[in-house]
Amino acid sequence: MKAETREVTISVNGREMTRRTEVRTLLSDFLRHELGLTGTHVGCEHGVCGACTVLVDGVPMRSCLALAVQADGAAVETVEGLAPEGELSQMQQAMRDEHGLQCGFCTPGILMSMLAAERAGVSCAEACGDVLGGHVCRCTGYQGIRAAVRRRWAALPAARGEETPA
Amino acid sequence: MNRLVGARVARINDPRLLTGRGTYVDDISLPGMLHAVMVRASIAHGRVTRFDATEALADEDVHAVITPEQAMARTHELPLVWLAPEQRHTRVPVATDEVRYVGQPLGVVVADTRASAEDALDVIDVGYDELDAVVDAEAALADDAPLLYPEWGTNVVASYDIGDTGEEIEPVFAGAARVVERRLHVQRLAVNPIEPRGLVAQWDAGTEALTVWISTQVSHHIRDHLAIVLGLRADQVRVIARDVGGGFGCKEHLYADEALACLAAMTTGRPVKWIEDRGEHFGATFHARDVVHRARLALDEDGRFLAIHSDILGNCGAHASNVGTGPFRISSIMLPGPYRFERAGTTIRGVVTTTTPTGAMRGFGMQEASWVRERLVDEAARELGVDPVELRLRNMLEPGDLPYDTRTYQRYDSGDYPEALRRVGAEIEKRSRPSEGRIRRGIGVATHVEFTGLGPSKTQQLVGFHLGGFETGVVRVEPDGSVLVSSGVVGMGQGIETTLAQLAAEQLHVPMSAVRVRLGDTATAPYSASGSIASRSMVVGGGAVVRAGARLHERLVRIAAHRLEADPGDIEVEEGVFSVKGVPGSSLTLAEVAERAWLGWNLPPGERADLEEKDVHDPENVSYSYAAHAAAVAVDLDTGQVRVEDYWLVHDAGTVVNPMIADGQVVGGVAHGIGIALHEEMRYDPAGQPITTSYLDYVMPTAEDIPDMDVSHMCTPAPHIPGGMKGLGEGGTILSPVTVGNAVAAAVPEIAERLVETPLSPSRMWTLMHEAGLHDETGLDDETGLDDDDPTSKE
Repeated sequence: MKAETREVTISVNGREMTRRTEVRTLLSDFLRHELGLTGTHVGCEHGVCGACTVLVDGVPMRSCLALAVQADGAAVETVEGLAPEGELSQMQQAMRDEHGLQCGFCTPGILMSMLAAERAGVSCAEACGDVLGGHVCRCTGYQGIRAAVRRRWAALPAARGEETPA
Repeated sequence: MNRLVGARVARINDPRLLTGRGTYVDDISLPGMLHAVMVRASIAHGRVTRFDATEALADEDVHAVITPEQAMARTHELPLVWLAPEQRHTRVPVATDEVRYVGQPLGVVVADTRASAEDALDVIDVGYDELDAVVDAEAALADDAPLLYPEWGTNVVASYDIGDTGEEIEPVFAGAARVVERRLHVQRLAVNPIEPRGLVAQWDAGTEALTVWISTQVSHHIRDHLAIVLGLRADQVRVIARDVGGGFGCKEHLYADEALACLAAMTTGRPVKWIEDRGEHFGATFHARDVVHRARLALDEDGRFLAIHSDILGNCGAHASNVGTGPFRISSIMLPGPYRFERAGTTIRGVVTTTTPTGAMRGFGMQEASWVRERLVDEAARELGVDPVELRLRNMLEPGDLPYDTRTYQRYDSGDYPEALRRVGAEIEKRSRPSEGRIRRGIGVATHVEFTGLGPSKTQQLVGFHLGGFETGVVRVEPDGSVLVSSGVVGMGQGIETTLAQLAAEQLHVPMSAVRVRLGDTATAPYSASGSIASRSMVVGGGAVVRAGARLHERLVRIAAHRLEADPGDIEVEEGVFSVKGVPGSSLTLAEVAERAWLGWNLPPGERADLEEKDVHDPENVSYSYAAHAAAVAVDLDTGQVRVEDYWLVHDAGTVVNPMIADGQVVGGVAHGIGIALHEEMRYDPAGQPITTSYLDYVMPTAEDIPDMDVSHMCTPAPHIPGGMKGLGEGGTILSPVTVGNAVAAAVPEIAERLVETPLSPSRMWTLMHEAGLHDETGLDDETGLDDDDPTSKE
């Protein structure tokens, strides 16, 4: 049976893309399979694990809980936009230095949430707490990710890198 | 020389994973690719009487529906790998119309998109003759229990003894000054790598070859079993694992649904992708644990351990899995732990139930053994009024006792078990925090010895494990001086690409940047039967790379010496440059040596041209890691919530190749175990319907559950492994559940005797504390804890 389709235009990492897609297509599937941006991963498809997190108009969103048509006209940021020149961003580098990833499957979602947190000016404690708390990682035990967040926040200009609870 | 082994080297695959350029299986897309979804049983027990796909096939998006009948006709039975003595079945069908668990694959829908395949699934009409379910292993032993295989006349799939039993051990218990006895249970768990299982299969009708990209820990094993099941020759099947988003044991064998997805590609002649969704994972991917131990510890009047025994009843699920009763067997052989016992043994019964089969998960059998032994030891300490660290030290094997033959057939190799515990114990006083009001605090410890680096093939033969235990490493210096390392082990996040590169670079005296590691593809990797399971990649696979690298280095030195007209003993190699000691200006780069060598020019007499060495490493024994852990917990007497506030441990995994990666493995393992201790539980209702099928019901540990922890390493090299490595991927998970359990017992001694099963969820904890009278002064003294006037309690 053919589902209803609609034209969707999304600016992804600063580049405008237009595709005709089924109205039921999830934003995660649209990014991955229609635009070929497979850096965004799908872990649970019910909005809990956070692996699929992208920024929609700057706001972190579970792309498995959104439809592509809902993002029509929006600006979406994905992990592919974090190191456009090939050099790791400071948060990516901190994750590498602090062993904040193992299998790497949940990592893109965490990077996107941390980018939003950094822009929103949240404290390091909140980034390690509430923000990281919205992601499930089976490999790392979160310790390396917290260390990476501390390293990144310590390098931020404002006085935001205060001590975090262990 | 700049040592690479033991250095905190950055992981070589991180940049691609951090920038979204990894290639996980769902990232692969082939021209003309179709999408498969599985038709799965919706009941726990019965027979399929109707499978009508007429309406689904009328949909133009649907290319094929494989029915149970067709699947049965086109597939052969799947051999089981680890067979117990007289196990009642040794092969299982890939497809059958007899249903024994919810989620069992019955057929396949293939359509243009995953969504249209799921639409079709909704209109496939499946009818059943339903039979009674039996979910619980003890219930499955009842005289009137429904039989899964009536021809057996029982639900017991295998039963046998390990170590000392009957007359060998009972007199010790009868004569002991004290016997601590408990019924202990480790819950059923779902494995939950964040990347679900999945594959892309492509059948080339011209060459009659099947290529399968799959998320797996064991490429060659998948290849061999796909060939058997699909009636192909092994050479017709190529299996490729690219980036794997975690395995943790559940991706260590071929599943029926994976074979059916490959059948769909062969049937349609088009590439087919199948990706498991998370809801499916909870029923379709093998579970783990679900075992009851009736266990006893005998002590003399001085608190010396005399004997340990457990009567193990394990729930195998709907059929023996690839490993069958293997987890219960590993529990048995590792039950004695780091202590001296006059006698030790178990009896094992594995039973089938109408649930998802249980198989491998990180900590395989050893987590359960630690839960049993270390709870009994802690209970003995409490009953005797002895400090738990002191009681353990009194009974531990000393370094001088090693190598030591246990009553359960293990020859422990090397280490200092008491030192690890003393170091952990020395921290207790300074880390201890007082209870406050209704928040109780306590610290618990636990220790273990771990079976890692499976293992000698001859041992695997002895225990009926039908996979070779060796690994092959191939190290090659290319004509341009670049280095290629190939191994049969698979990367799944444990950092094995980086650590193998470190080993090879160190042996060849070249920088890390010169080395590329190629894994996972059966067309290019050396054969590996067992793959990346059982904490063996570094021990067995790494050992092979060490030896191959060392041999290649010797040859390169000989060749360079010949070219430089020097004695090989006078050649120094630094960062890939060969020079003659004390002769400045006389040197050759690795590329200069390699280019000529591959031409076959200027070789010393007897030297061959190719710069490739292959080593087959079949170790003489497994290697035994060990650890001591401690946890500090806070227990809220009113809510039942347990918080792990502090965690520290001392671990010995022999040579640590990369301390950053090693710490990550241990910390991640502990976190997995804290999930087991506090939250995770796969549950069924009495009709055999799984009721924890999302992350809202099955609670995974998140950042707030896991404190930062302190990991220290002792490094006693494995005497029999080239490089001295022991395994370290599972130790964290093995010991943390019981460490947390012992800490909870210390915090709330009133319930210590009844802390026999996990998870110690708020509801279980609240109930135990309520029944122990800990709510008597708070008004929460009725049976339910609810106020009788509470309107929610009246309908």
